[in-house]
Amino acid sequence: MFDLLNIAIDSAINSGAKYSDARILVSKSRSIAAKNGEVENFNESEKVGLGIRALVGSSWGFYSTYDLSRESLILSGKKAFEIAKASSVVSGEETPFTHAPVVKDEYTTPHQENPFKVSTTEQIDLIVDSTEQMKKLGSSRSFGRLDFWDTEKWFCSSQGHEIFQNIIESGGGISSLSVGDGETQIRSYPQSFGEYRTGGWEVVKSFEFKNHTERLAEESQRLLVAPHCPEGTMDLILEGSQLALQIHESVGHAVELDRILGWEAAYAGTSHLELDKLNKHKYGSELMNIVADATLPGALATFKYDDEGTPAQRVDIVKEGIWTGVLSGRDSAAIAGVNPGGMVRADGFGRLPMVRMTNVGLLPGESSLEEIIDSTENGIYMETNRSWSIDDLRLNFQFGCEVGWIIKNGNVTEMVKNPTYTGITPEFWRNMDMLANKDEWIFWGTPNCGKGQPSQIGHTGHPASPARFKNTRIGVRG
Amino acid sequence: MKIWTELLNNLQEKIPSSVECELKMMHSKSALTRFANSQIHQNVDEESADMYLTMHKDGKTLSRSYNLTAVKNSKEFIEEALESLKESPEDNTWAGLTNKTESHDGYQEIQEVNPDERANLVKDFVNEGKEMNAAGYCSTYLNNLFIWNTNGLNSSDTSESAFIDGIFRTDTSAGSSHRGAVDIKDLNASRTGKEAAKLALDSQNPTDIDPGKYEVILGHEAVSTILIFLSVYGFNAKSKIDGMSPLLIGENQFDEKITLIDTPEDEDSIGFKIDATGAKKHNLEVIKNGIPKTYFHTRRTSKELDMENTQHELLGWGHNFGGIATNLNLNTGHTSHDDMISGVKRGIYINEFWYCRVLDPITQVVTGLNRNGSFLIEDGKITKPIGRLRFTQSFITSLGQGNVISVGNTSRYADSEFGEGMLKVPELHLKEFNFTGGVSG
Repeated sequence: MFDLLNIAIDSAINSGAKYSDARILVSKSRSIAAKNGEVENFNESEKVGLGIRALVGSSWGFYSTYDLSRESLILSGKKAFEIAKASSVVSGEETPFTHAPVVKDEYTTPHQENPFKVSTTEQIDLIVDSTEQMKKLGSSRSFGRLDFWDTEKWFCSSQGHEIFQNIIESGGGISSLSVGDGETQIRSYPQSFGEYRTGGWEVVKSFEFKNHTERLAEESQRLLVAPHCPEGTMDLILEGSQLALQIHESVGHAVELDRILGWEAAYAGTSHLELDKLNKHKYGSELMNIVADATLPGALATFKYDDEGTPAQRVDIVKEGIWTGVLSGRDSAAIAGVNPGGMVRADGFGRLPMVRMTNVGLLPGESSLEEIIDSTENGIYMETNRSWSIDDLRLNFQFGCEVGWIIKNGNVTEMVKNPTYTGITPEFWRNMDMLANKDEWIFWGTPNCGKGQPSQIGHTGHPASPARFKNTRIGVRG
Repeated sequence: MKIWTELLNNLQEKIPSSVECELKMMHSKSALTRFANSQIHQNVDEESADMYLTMHKDGKTLSRSYNLTAVKNSKEFIEEALESLKESPEDNTWAGLTNKTESHDGYQEIQEVNPDERANLVKDFVNEGKEMNAAGYCSTYLNNLFIWNTNGLNSSDTSESAFIDGIFRTDTSAGSSHRGAVDIKDLNASRTGKEAAKLALDSQNPTDIDPGKYEVILGHEAVSTILIFLSVYGFNAKSKIDGMSPLLIGENQFDEKITLIDTPEDEDSIGFKIDATGAKKHNLEVIKNGIPKTYFHTRRTSKELDMENTQHELLGWGHNFGGIATNLNLNTGHTSHDDMISGVKRGIYINEFWYCRVLDPITQVVTGLNRNGSFLIEDGKITKPIGRLRFTQSFITSLGQGNVISVGNTSRYADSEFGEGMLKVPELHLKEFNFTGGVSG
């Protein structure tokens, strides 16, 4: 494969590109969706192709094709150059590009059982049985899904990189939906839209779906008759998976350097952060320590090299409440004057690599969830995301959760439905006053992060444990 | 197309007559020229050839997708698929294959657009606001769809489309505009840029206003987002099956000024004239004078609900997604933009929504924000630009009886939260819209 890649790269360089790199991917996926004790969809997919990019002046040119014949590879290199050159009609200053050490290496995700070698019957039975149990226990509809990805990726650059990686990802989830009079209520496990990690079939087995079906079915039905979440301002305790999404939306996207530089302004937006505030801006309370760590074993965004050949690494993003780092690639880092973070990845061979969150997580604190609840006089504990929305500066957010639990004088008193909370990013994070410890720290994964034009779906990780936020506005309703 | 003919010839004869089989191929050339900070920074071009195989026998269904390169040996490919079919799960909602009589021959040889044409349109856009910061894209798509099945159906179609989409930013504001067309030559990038530039300049130094219930005039993109949410979460028959659709077919659920039609047969409609089963799509009344008339069906949902198939099956989305209309057209009314503004005592104009998410599908309560051009209207005049507001509002109620004051007299393709080119809509003047938060949360 490296020989094929170098044919395309040589073609781009010989055409006049100042730099070129290329990837060939063999991407396999398996997806199983179940409903009410039956398979609803079962699909397997395999795609093979090349993506090559060429840097000419101020623009990247990118071309991708399924055709790996020699003629096609030569044409691909030429096209990548010509596409970049066409940008000169509306050009700017030449794009700088930080040097990365030339690496020849290979890496495979550590795993016990390759999910594509496990019998589909075993996988189907697991998810179908879970939905059947919930249906029998009174769910109006019960849903389950499993997804597996096996991506073989060969990367070469005009600087001499030759890297092979085999990334294996697995996960899924189950949900119980109860339909009432003009309303629906849902409970999901391990989190809404499923939980995903790098690893094999053992990841899914560790979820032990069957131990959670009864609780989900019962809670989704109980929510129909539960009172509404009250409106007001009180202490908010977030369960880990909801806090993971809060990190994703209000920190992860905000610290993407391409957004800060305006490259995503038309679609995903920019950021409330400006580079001159790096190492000065107070992002949150002193309990807030956020790192982007692509080396965490088992987390969803763990790899050895990014799609520019930069080694995976751990970067401090927020340290004791102060903004200290960004998510960057070789071009954006050169412009901003920081070290490239190894955070550039693409959604398959057909997309241009771009800045992507790795495992952007909140380091654990000292408390336990029990201690946090015990010390809360008037608050609410919210679990499992149901809706999420944030402005294009990543400041004004509103989240809805599947369930809320009212806390009075350190005791959980009642379940409430349709809980929502809203806030402004720095104020919210500055109000974090308690954080659960490493015993409750989970590597939550988000498999559906949309960004870029053409649209790309990214897999990102967000380690988190539950935390408390003082004086939060809750209970916004339509 | 040669690669389809070769693929079909290689695979067709290896499929046993006892198996129901559907084979599809989508060949695409898509390209997107992206600009930011008033320069082109990313310029991409992709050629893909994806194949979709469905086999059904003895109550079991196999569903796979590959690209051409992944199919290394056609004999082994079919033999392996037939073996896997035996191990596939029971499929109780199988609804059969489309009949031979539905075959449609729409394939055309069309020349792809070159990157210089896109770059020149970007230049035209950027030139309309040289003193501001421009960002956006110009994209072109050329798609060829081929569908064959063991019922003897052999359908094909070709679709091309082009879009220009961009914003201008000042230190305190942004303004956006969008256009779509079948042919790139029908895009007027200068006019699009001019609209975005005016919105950005007019929006400078916005004032924050208190949240609350306001009369609103919604621009094309904001209207488009409301309708795409109703389409995906309401009219999709899968939502009905799952108990989550808010729609009441045949009842006076919307204001009588709302008439929505799906128009795949129209000459200027973007997209394929056939659905993902190979059957020809037809124009369809979706809402007539406020009364919802139909759900969007696939083969499976129409069988499960015992309703007529409306040919809204999409390629590559899996049959658990359901059906979506791709050519929705909200009928125009008689009110001009200026007359809408002059009819407002105190209200808000919103160009587009951002990051909308459903709180509960059955009530269609959605939260989101405004961006890229929002203004306070007082005594029939736009008086000042306003800052960010968060709304939490049922999209069903927003178009409910008595809440639609008027419908604009011009419509165009508009972007929505879910993408480009699916809806053609006018502006709407609504009596009440619920804003629940401002810039301070």
